Amino acid sequence: MRFLYPYKMQFTLKYYYFILSMLLIASCSSDDSIDKDEEKPTITVNYTDGFPQGCSVLTKGETYNFRAQVTDNKALASYSIDIHNNFDHHTHDDQVTECDLEEIKDAVNPFILMENYTIENGLTSYEINVSVTIPNDIDAGDYHCAYSVTDETGWQARTSIDIKITD
Amino acid sequence: MLKKTLSVWLCFSLCTIAFAQDSWLIKGVVLNANTLQPIDGASISRGNLFSISSDTGEFTLKNVKQGSYDLVVSSMGFTSKTITIQVDSKLKDVIIYLEESATNLDEIEVLGKSKKRERMETPVVSYNVSETFLEENRENSLMQTLSKIPGVSTINIGSGQSKPVIRGLGFNRVAVVQNGIKHEAQQWGNDHGLEIDQYGIENIQIIKGPASLVYGSDAIAGVVDIQPNAIPDIHSFSGDINLLGETNNDLLGVSAGVQARTHNWFYRGRLTYRDYGDYKVPTDQISYENYIFNLHDNNLRNTAGKEADASFSLGYINDNIQSETTFSNVNAKNGFFANAHGLEVRTSDIDYDSSNRDIDLPYHKVNHFKITNNITIFSEDHTFYFDLGYQNNLRAEHSEAVPHGYMPKPANTKERVFNKNTYALNVRDAFKPNNAHDIVLGVNMEFQDNNIGGWGFLIPEYNRFTFGAFAFDTFKINSDLHLLAGIRYDFGRVDTKAYYDWFPSTINNEDGSTSYVYLQRAQDKSLDFGNFSGSVGLSYILNHTTFKINVGKSFRMPLANELASDGVNYHMYRYEKGNLDLDPEASYQIDLDIDHTTSAFSIGVSPFVNFFENFIYLNPTSGYYETLQIYEYTQSKVFRIGGEIRASTTVFENLKLDASAEYVYSRQTSGAKEGFTIPFSPPLSGLLSARYQFKDLLFLSKPQLIADYRITASQEEIVPPEEVTDGYQLFNMSFLAELNLFKNNSPVEMRVKLNNVFNTKYFDHTSFYRLIDVPEAGRNLSLSLTIPL
Repeated sequence: MRFLYPYKMQFTLKYYYFILSMLLIASCSSDDSIDKDEEKPTITVNYTDGFPQGCSVLTKGETYNFRAQVTDNKALASYSIDIHNNFDHHTHDDQVTECDLEEIKDAVNPFILMENYTIENGLTSYEINVSVTIPNDIDAGDYHCAYSVTDETGWQARTSIDIKITD
Repeated sequence: MLKKTLSVWLCFSLCTIAFAQDSWLIKGVVLNANTLQPIDGASISRGNLFSISSDTGEFTLKNVKQGSYDLVVSSMGFTSKTITIQVDSKLKDVIIYLEESATNLDEIEVLGKSKKRERMETPVVSYNVSETFLEENRENSLMQTLSKIPGVSTINIGSGQSKPVIRGLGFNRVAVVQNGIKHEAQQWGNDHGLEIDQYGIENIQIIKGPASLVYGSDAIAGVVDIQPNAIPDIHSFSGDINLLGETNNDLLGVSAGVQARTHNWFYRGRLTYRDYGDYKVPTDQISYENYIFNLHDNNLRNTAGKEADASFSLGYINDNIQSETTFSNVNAKNGFFANAHGLEVRTSDIDYDSSNRDIDLPYHKVNHFKITNNITIFSEDHTFYFDLGYQNNLRAEHSEAVPHGYMPKPANTKERVFNKNTYALNVRDAFKPNNAHDIVLGVNMEFQDNNIGGWGFLIPEYNRFTFGAFAFDTFKINSDLHLLAGIRYDFGRVDTKAYYDWFPSTINNEDGSTSYVYLQRAQDKSLDFGNFSGSVGLSYILNHTTFKINVGKSFRMPLANELASDGVNYHMYRYEKGNLDLDPEASYQIDLDIDHTTSAFSIGVSPFVNFFENFIYLNPTSGYYETLQIYEYTQSKVFRIGGEIRASTTVFENLKLDASAEYVYSRQTSGAKEGFTIPFSPPLSGLLSARYQFKDLLFLSKPQLIADYRITASQEEIVPPEEVTDGYQLFNMSFLAELNLFKNNSPVEMRVKLNNVFNTKYFDHTSFYRLIDVPEAGRNLSLSLTIPL
């Protein structure tokens, strides 16, 4: 009985290789025609003009230019900017620094900014520059500023920054 | 009530008596003398009298005249036996014990058809999972246990929940059937797991391909069919208690079941309770995008859970009718990882680390209640099957109330509530017009009523009615060549209900003014769908080799969320948009299966080629809605090819080796993501397994050591927003033995398992927590004992 095994193993392996090669042929044959975009865009505020930086303090009534640098290997498509309160400390930013947060409180008239923009002409590099005036009648306190950007394929990158708004 | 019961009972007993007057009925059961297990396919004969025992070992000989008979009882692998019985009014049920013959042949018997032979003959490519497999491989959830089968994988949500994936397709593309009734819950959900007690299951049939013909919509990629358990032996009582302990998540589980039968009546009952803490991962830190979560004691914060299940069934059987009514309830509460819910990073005041067993926010509670009734009526040439089912699935997802966008802080933690009622009726008629044909005609009807609650909106309320009719014929061309052909038509209607936000959103109008609007998220719509599906298959048996080919078209009706959702999913940072113009998914598949099995070794391949005309998926677009990326349900053509190979051999008497590999290649060949794969594609994976049986030692009998080595390749085939997942190698060990602790009693079965022996840090591409870079569970030692009652 034992003499038979090498033969059987070979038989099994042959099957294995046969199927594997079939699959490889199949996977290689239809692949190359389409140039797939497999890279996400990038987004950062970590440069001199990037705004806001982590733990920035913004004053009511002032106008600020919110600036972030975005890039993509193929073509950028849209971006958004979102400012919302973090009075309940529900989340934190992804920046290096950790900011001192104020006491937890309830929102009365919090500042909400939600804006979407498109990037025309399929650029691969772009600087987001949005001018925002902080209204006077909103609650002061801890806020959160989130940027996100998509490319034409549908990949997305996000970053978020803790900020404070004072009177 | 008592009167009714009495009258039913009287009626049945009268019938039995009426039968018994002119001719006699010999009833009995054939058992293995060593194991006391029933013998399936044993032949019982004497002249014109002939019968084959069923899978419960039972047989009947009808129309027997009074007198003395010598019955020859034989079965392959057992020594034949002749018994003499006296047929008269004192006739009792006959119990026949067969001794295993010295030359234990692994071949199937020639007389009569065993289940195994039936499976070889049917052209349907299916895989049967036995109770032994389930027990030896038991993991934390049913689907995790089944994922050892090549071609079957899971989407895991933490340690206690999972959902089935067959050849890379899951969610509503795999139908899970229990007692003939499709399990209906919130299968479309990312964080939903299958609500079925994994104890007390004897047999599961897995179909790894389109199976709409018999199972209808949703069975487009495959079926996990949990079959009704075998009816207990006549005049028997049995039961077991299973105890389970695990070190990784400090799990304690107990499950106890009993079953008994008089002559005609039988019942079964089972209670299961499991309680587990947070599971441990082999890392101190999780880095997700730019966030770093430090873990306390390697515990994946707030992933503890508990589950309590109960089931009871009552049945009746005689020569003409078999009926079983089953009540079951599965109740679970599971915590979700506290640092990130979905993709959303959360901080909280909750002291998650004070205990690894508490379940804090976010968590979900789910209760699944099910009643099924299965009736089989045996008449002259026809067998009629009726399956009736009612299910209620109640799922509530709780998380800390947080304002989002224009939504103010909600008043409570009840984020989403789903309450779904499903009523189902299946009727089948199986008959043999002549010796060559086996025809089955059937209808399926199902009504779903889905209600929602809570402050978060994902899917609308809806009602759904489906009706399907099918016919198929198994044509025996000769004893080794069988053809199966069938056709089916389905009609379905989905009525979605309108939904409006409970808070106003700010809309900046074009003229510079601002309005505050309660936005409409879902519309009142009624949509009809119709579809033909069918399949043709051929099976050919050549000595030890079975060849099968199957070509089929299956379909799936679009779901309410795919059609009508229009809302923000904050946990996934996306805005989900349905599409009322979606067509039913249609899938064409060719399946091949070649199996060669001899006593020394066995090999098999099961390749497939599949084409979807209009695969529905949630496509991430480049647009934004209220600063969230818009994901739209779209359809595209999809081409898939892949399969499984398996081999096993007995190197020498006590050493058995198994090897298997699985692979699926998927491509979208049209649409926005042309050239990309489809979401949740499992990577190439192989499993090598060695099993060695030692000599009996002291009170340990049949001690076995099993080593499993899984090698999984990296998955570089991804579609936005997925990430590439590295390959891994994983080593599991287990030790099984029977303990002869009690004299004159069946042995206690013991299983010791060591999963992830080297505490390897690895990622499972199809795990729910993969999105936030959470590795799979670390080393786990588990001990399980099954004690017979």
